[in-house]
Amino acid sequence: MTMPFFMSAAHWRWLKTKDPAHLELTKMWMRGVAILFAVGAVSGTVVAFQLGLLWPGFMKHAGPIFGMPFSWEGSAFFVEAVAIGLFLYGWGRMKPWLHWATGLVVGIAGFTSGIFVVAANGWMNTPAGFDWVEGAAINIDPVAAMFNKAWLHQTIHMQLAALQAVGFGVAGIHAAFYLRGKAREMHLGALKIALTFGAVASLLMPFSGHFAGQRVAEYQPAKLAAAEGLFVTTTNAPLIIGGIPDVETQTVRYAIEIPGALSFLAHNDFNTAVTGLDQIPREDWPPVVVTHFAFQIMVAIGGILALMAVLYLVFLKKKRWPGWFMKALIICAPLGFIAIEAGWVVTEVGRQPWIIQGVMRTKDAVTPVPGMQYHLYLLFVLYAIITVAVVWLFKRQVRGMHKRLDDTEPSTKA
Amino acid sequence: MTHILIFFIGASLLLYVLLGGSDYGAGILELLSMRSKKLRREQTRAINHAMGPVWEANHVWLILIVVILFMGFPLAFTTLMTALHAPLLALLVGIVVRGATFSFRHYDPVQDEKTQRVYTILFGGSSLWTAMWLGIIAGTLNRGTIPLARAAGEVGAVDAYILPWLDLYPFCVGLFVTCIFAFLASVYMVGETKEPELRNVFTRRAAISNVCVFVAGGVVFLASLLEAKSLFALFLERPAAISAIVIAVLLFVALWKFIKLRNVVFARVVAAGQVTMILLGWWLLYAPNAIITTEGPVSFYEVAAPRATQLQLMLALLVGSCIIFPSLFFLLRVFKTRSETGAAN
Repeated sequence: MTMPFFMSAAHWRWLKTKDPAHLELTKMWMRGVAILFAVGAVSGTVVAFQLGLLWPGFMKHAGPIFGMPFSWEGSAFFVEAVAIGLFLYGWGRMKPWLHWATGLVVGIAGFTSGIFVVAANGWMNTPAGFDWVEGAAINIDPVAAMFNKAWLHQTIHMQLAALQAVGFGVAGIHAAFYLRGKAREMHLGALKIALTFGAVASLLMPFSGHFAGQRVAEYQPAKLAAAEGLFVTTTNAPLIIGGIPDVETQTVRYAIEIPGALSFLAHNDFNTAVTGLDQIPREDWPPVVVTHFAFQIMVAIGGILALMAVLYLVFLKKKRWPGWFMKALIICAPLGFIAIEAGWVVTEVGRQPWIIQGVMRTKDAVTPVPGMQYHLYLLFVLYAIITVAVVWLFKRQVRGMHKRLDDTEPSTKA
Repeated sequence: MTHILIFFIGASLLLYVLLGGSDYGAGILELLSMRSKKLRREQTRAINHAMGPVWEANHVWLILIVVILFMGFPLAFTTLMTALHAPLLALLVGIVVRGATFSFRHYDPVQDEKTQRVYTILFGGSSLWTAMWLGIIAGTLNRGTIPLARAAGEVGAVDAYILPWLDLYPFCVGLFVTCIFAFLASVYMVGETKEPELRNVFTRRAAISNVCVFVAGGVVFLASLLEAKSLFALFLERPAAISAIVIAVLLFVALWKFIKLRNVVFARVVAAGQVTMILLGWWLLYAPNAIITTEGPVSFYEVAAPRATQLQLMLALLVGSCIIFPSLFFLLRVFKTRSETGAAN
């Protein structure tokens, strides 16, 4: 949902400058978008079915309550599918700027879809829009469910994360090709487009994280306590960095503590008490170790990428960039994606044992169908193959483009 | 209000079969042998060109059905997803493989013979596979073998999750659906190429697949004799359903007239009309039931979500339609009005 924006930026430049390198870049990114969208569209189908295949106990009650964002997401997805058809096959069939606009619509519709889906997830964290009476939902209000207390901070956080991860991911790939010395100008231009998106998102990320942290502290104290490894409710609570939480002794070993910082992050005040796990019944604790590690990974990567974003802004004006910065960009390429996964682990594992916070336990939601491990193995193998195939295709893509640029280069020099 | 939601399910299903179904059919056609390599390449190009811009939009109809079901008729959704877990998973694997291989084939910058062949076999094979499973699932729906969620725990796993669909009749329906998809694709594809030789191939395939549809349809009826209640008996209870099937058969004459006249547009309309009538016949047998369980049919009205949810869902669908149909129309206008001249470029 973010690649189309990069593609549109490159396309816009081509329409403005008529520089063939930008056209090549647009088309290469377009092929990337086409492949990813195809895989994404069919995977979206899998997800829609899996809600029922895996969690029938959950969907039986939740479908009518939190289904609304999905019903709107359907329209957004439709627009996206139509727009991508128009963009991919519309070269020379539409007026250039109308064609450009269809590419932008792909991005906007995809971005909107993302917001709807994450809003639905927010409902699982902060359920709203119903009353739970004797194991059934009554007084259902789908609108209130959609605009639940978590929808805003979760969607902001996720959409920024997507821009950040894809921005740095794409920039890293182009940095690698830049260092190999082929079609340098083009790769540098590509890198700048992608990294501009990534850098802006990275700089906004700490604010969004702070906002999310406050909301989670208020509505899901168990999640924040597990993420931080805070076993005991503390005033002037320290921010616990790193370390290994030990659930038996209820301590975090080998951690760095910054006094008061957690209180500030959660409540904008260094002295306010932050709820620890001691306030949560033992059977409602999320897995502390996993949540804590995932949270640390996410925050650490957020810090690294924000630093890289600052460096990028510093170097942007300079003629030559230091080689180590390019190399660092390559290393940063997968980090954003790891951070996204880690973040989802925090929000999903950190909600356990609940599937709907405080209402329904995950074990009551899962399908009664036996042999579910084979379901997992099957999809794992399938997606492993597809991932390898996509990476292989992208490599062929870039190789093909270098060849074409090499072929045109002599003529432009002459 | 529930009527409108049911209507949207029916309409989405129809559009999915007419549009998405022909995309499956195109994959199935690519599995069939061709006289020459050149013709085969020509066919792949025509199919890429015809399907490329529209297949993703065509696919969204299926997702729409799922969303309407889980938001509007949650109990029907969860019961089906539980009882038909295995065939649905098989279906999903097929959907993923064919979507991926279709786009890989088109966007692989190195269009060498060998890898293209691999993509085509995977794309065609998974199209066939997915169409079969769609048919098997459709065939299972009206058998009355789906256990209600609470009953599922009381019978064994095999009885609850395998035996409902593992039988001759659902597989015959699978075959029937496969033939329908191949038939739709053949008729649609006649108008997507200017190559006279390839046109002839598609015309011939339209004829063969049309006969196959009738034969497979007959087989489905015969297989249903082994069922608790045969299709003959079911259809006799619903005269409207019989008329739909009769119209489908009669349209056969019109179809061949238009194909002989080389009137591509009307041939498409009539073929779509035939399939619409078949689906309508099935729908008239089935509706207003949402699921037919071992303990009897459960109608859409019985499993409908609360009114507030139905209202929001209907609103989303109506507003969505105002966005979807104009944009879909625009898409078809850009790509399909000039396709007869554009396909062979």
